[in-house]
Amino acid sequence: MTGLSFGFRCGLVVQREVGRILGIIWIIPMAWLMEFFMKYRIKNVKDLRRRYRKLLSETRAPILICSNHLTMADSAVIAWALGGSWWYLFRYSRLPWNIPEYNNFSFLKFVGLGAWITKCIPVVRGGSREGVSRVIKKIDYLLRKGDTALIFAEAGRSRTGKVQIDNHAQAVGRILTTVPECQALCVYMRGDQQDTWSTVPKRGDSIYLDFEIFKPQSTFSGMRQSRDVAQQVVAHIADMESRYFAGRK
Amino acid sequence: MSREDVFQKVMEIIKPFVKNEDVFQQANESTNILQDLKVNSARLVDIILNFEDEFDVEVEDEDADSVNTVGDAVSLIMEKLAA
Repeated sequence: MTGLSFGFRCGLVVQREVGRILGIIWIIPMAWLMEFFMKYRIKNVKDLRRRYRKLLSETRAPILICSNHLTMADSAVIAWALGGSWWYLFRYSRLPWNIPEYNNFSFLKFVGLGAWITKCIPVVRGGSREGVSRVIKKIDYLLRKGDTALIFAEAGRSRTGKVQIDNHAQAVGRILTTVPECQALCVYMRGDQQDTWSTVPKRGDSIYLDFEIFKPQSTFSGMRQSRDVAQQVVAHIADMESRYFAGRK
Repeated sequence: MSREDVFQKVMEIIKPFVKNEDVFQQANESTNILQDLKVNSARLVDIILNFEDEFDVEVEDEDADSVNTVGDAVSLIMEKLAA
């Protein structure tokens, strides 16, 4: 796919390099904010990071992180849980790009600037199809260049608190079917105190996170293939959720 | 098939997904499917796949990027039928 203009490609390179240069002043503080101010604890964090680094060392394929979605801080928590903070300073391409809802921060210009520095590509959900398509093309381009991206497999935070299989994000299927060799890294994350959706996880929460590589197969073509793949990904994350709750009993 | 016939069928397909019935009653080709009819963006995919079944055409993801209004949908289908 790609089909991204030279101007947009240059814009992404500039965005990435400015973020990289400023990494020391935002990656570490964000990690400290989650660890020392919000007092989040990731369960089995050492094992999680060891597994994640091993996985990355074993594959050169593009990786699209596909996660469930319960809070607005999910992408930051997942990135921190998988890679820590210092590690990303030396492997900046592995710090995932993410796709926040533009309307969540558009009212404050400096927040928009912050989002730009922190590898965000805002999208207006329900906005013009051309705008949404451009965001997908940017992620497509970045994955082909060896960057990692994170996208929520559900179209919005789950209002039921459980993975909503019938509310899949079509973009997941579209990216996975167009980027050659792209792998879906399915992530399931949930704080012990996270009963339903919220703005951020509760302060002091102990957070469970697990990931699995998933390779969807589809016999369809066109949009049906994208939908099939997106549905398979969200169903796999729902399966991870079932195993999580079975393990808690 | 005339443009008017396609428009009528498109409206029939969209109807079950519409959340704003009042606007739907007054809808024309310039009506925005997501913003005016309040169709969920995830459901827009279902609508376009229903177009595929109804008109026996195949729509790629990139074709669907041009569908914002009812008229865009009609134009896309007319284009596919003519191909």
